[in-house]
Amino acid sequence: MTESYLTEVVLQAAGRECSRATSYPIEASDIRKWALASYWPEQPPQHFIDAEVAPEDFDPFAWGPAHYESLLPDDDGSVIVRHGINERALGFPDWKFRAGLNGGMNCTYGMRMHVGDVITDTKSCGEYTERQGRNGLMLITQSISTWTNQNGEVVKRTINSGIRF
Amino acid sequence: MTVNVGDAIPTFTRATGFANWNRYAAVNDEFVPIHMDDEAGAAAGNGGAFGMGNLQWAYLHNMLRDWMGPNGEILSIEVQFRSPNVKGQTVTAHGVVTAVEGDVVTLDVWTEQQEGTKLAPGSAKVRLAK
Repeated sequence: MTESYLTEVVLQAAGRECSRATSYPIEASDIRKWALASYWPEQPPQHFIDAEVAPEDFDPFAWGPAHYESLLPDDDGSVIVRHGINERALGFPDWKFRAGLNGGMNCTYGMRMHVGDVITDTKSCGEYTERQGRNGLMLITQSISTWTNQNGEVVKRTINSGIRF
Repeated sequence: MTVNVGDAIPTFTRATGFANWNRYAAVNDEFVPIHMDDEAGAAAGNGGAFGMGNLQWAYLHNMLRDWMGPNGEILSIEVQFRSPNVKGQTVTAHGVVTAVEGDVVTLDVWTEQQEGTKLAPGSAKVRLAK
């Protein structure tokens, strides 16, 4: 039974930049399909059907980045971690969990996304904590994603929280 | 639009299950076992397959946008996923105004299932169109 997940390596990782990914240029059909799925079974607003602008929650990385690089010294970037960070490359233990859940999100928005935009996602390690719950000792993680567009403008900053046990 | 503290904004409601989850998974490449397979969902402690938190997130955004109109801005939003969206639930996104400062409005937002259990509580800040 794990007594604690919070080793020194884990605690010292907070704030480290881990990866940078660049999206393919956003296409109108990406925006349209996203809106159709998230409003289903009713139609989304017409400006999403017309792809005038993307919904704030749209993810241009959904089906993989155009380019991905690790910012960690011992990581060749061959393992693309879409949601979160490459914990093994940070030297974290090779934990085995029964399940991983989305604990929540905290997002601040800037510029809207449009057709043709190329988005860069820089991911950093947030704080790791733990607590006892009905499923035993749970590891609570944070990864921080900062998106900028091709003009260097901030699109959004998201703190993603994860729960694993 | 005149907005006052305590105002409840129009809700956004969807009956949920694999039909919604699969469509959302297709656009978000979110083909995760806990959202597709009852055995995996049960192993995660939820009795069976359950919907993705990202779709609850989308519903809250939809609610805010539908209320504000296309020229409003969502400035920030945060939620915690507290209870799973299991099969057969009707999920409703709610918002109540907690502060108004000029054209910037703060709201408590949350999704809940048909019996009133909150699934994803949080808050949001928006800027209304002038």
